[in-house]
Amino acid sequence: MNKNKTKLNLNRRNFLTGTATLAGIAATASVVPITIANANHSEGKKGLPDFISWKDRDALIVHSDKGIETHRSAIGESLVTPNRNIYIRNNMPTMTDAQIGDRKKWKVSIEGVKNPQTFTLAQLQKLGHETMATILQCSGNGRGFFEHKPRGSQWKTGAAACVLWTGVPMKTVVDACGGISGGAVYMTSEGVDHVPTGLDPKKAMIARSVPKKVFKDAMLAWEMNGVPLPNAHGGPLRMVTPGYFGINNVKHLGKVAFTVEQSSVKYMKKSYRISPIGKKGSQYPSCWEMPVKSWITRPTDETGTVKAGKVQIVGVAMGGTKKVRSVKVSVDGGSSWKKAKFIGPNLGKFAWRQFVLETTLSAGSYNIASLASNGADKQPELRMENRRGYAHNGWKDHSVNITVV
Amino acid sequence: DAKMIKGLEIFNETAACAACHILKAAGSEGNIGPNLDTVEGLNYDSVMDIVTHGLGVMPAFGEDEILSKDEIDIVSFYVANSVGK
Repeated sequence: MNKNKTKLNLNRRNFLTGTATLAGIAATASVVPITIANANHSEGKKGLPDFISWKDRDALIVHSDKGIETHRSAIGESLVTPNRNIYIRNNMPTMTDAQIGDRKKWKVSIEGVKNPQTFTLAQLQKLGHETMATILQCSGNGRGFFEHKPRGSQWKTGAAACVLWTGVPMKTVVDACGGISGGAVYMTSEGVDHVPTGLDPKKAMIARSVPKKVFKDAMLAWEMNGVPLPNAHGGPLRMVTPGYFGINNVKHLGKVAFTVEQSSVKYMKKSYRISPIGKKGSQYPSCWEMPVKSWITRPTDETGTVKAGKVQIVGVAMGGTKKVRSVKVSVDGGSSWKKAKFIGPNLGKFAWRQFVLETTLSAGSYNIASLASNGADKQPELRMENRRGYAHNGWKDHSVNITVV
Repeated sequence: DAKMIKGLEIFNETAACAACHILKAAGSEGNIGPNLDTVEGLNYDSVMDIVTHGLGVMPAFGEDEILSKDEIDIVSFYVANSVGK
């Protein structure tokens, strides 16, 4: 065995340094040669990967070094989720400072417009300035509740955050380019994070097409909750598509094109499709608009024993692409509901609202649920079963069991 | 045993898992997909499922017939028995 292992490890060394060996392996495995990206993945002292060692370990659940969830009770009860608590979901390695270079010189090209142009970050910052709040939520948030155990991180509630973005409205950029070309149907954003890896661009490139109309709400953001957009969250420049799932908010943004067709990359054509269990394909809907959703953040089984008497039941509610109108809370597993009160500032229809229901609970066991409505739609009781465990907004799975003593 | 040796070979060479994943036991340092030593709940069934069907940028080694069923069995066995070692 030792002999074999030595041989393999020698080969591995070639494999990591020599392109000839890489090409050979690639031929066997039907993948294109790969250049190993900078190592930004070793475990930090707090049990977090180095590239996010600045985050709060206690606020986070580590599913893997590229899938890190916020604890249910740590999404930020003051409305905005602090950066150190925000989840991480990376399809590609985060770009390093060295790969990014001078942030002011970061370039993004705008195509499918009357006058296609390339802007540096410094030029964008002269073009316009706006701040808005949106919810960043992974398409698979809630996957951990599906009984058929879909592949991927088993998120419960914490692949979501409410974020204040500062940047330039996409509409301002479009106007500066003379408007959208005729015939465009989609706004397609591309990241450049794949380039250093040398993977097959059709498979590895992050490109996402959303309906063209999204440009009116979208932003090219360089700041997140008051600090320059961290690399781990797509710095120095990221597309923000309000009301649309996280994957459409393309990180390390290099190009925005108004296109007739959806992008043909795997992340658009095949991945992130909401298909029945056992089926897949590009004929199924893409993870675009987020549905109305809410969940309780306190009390939960994470927040310790609840004492009998007056209790504040607290949570967050989002309307998706529409303003959230109301939220009801049940302490008896959905048999009866009471209207909760929205509190805190209203940061617009793309942010979530905090809610609270003050109630009195005597000793016993309770199942607490919340049910939000945006006027047009309300949360269903049950999840919409689908192959990859996307877009879960059923209230029952998101309920919490607590014991009052 | 023999299955583990064969699994290491598939991991590092045939399938080139090592190009994209860290697995300390295999000495691999790839940084495209997750560090396999950090993935929670990783076991034979979950590895086989993902290797067969792919996930995101990861190829569907089974569906696309990049690996044989036997090879998938062996590499899944290898990974499930190597993580965290």
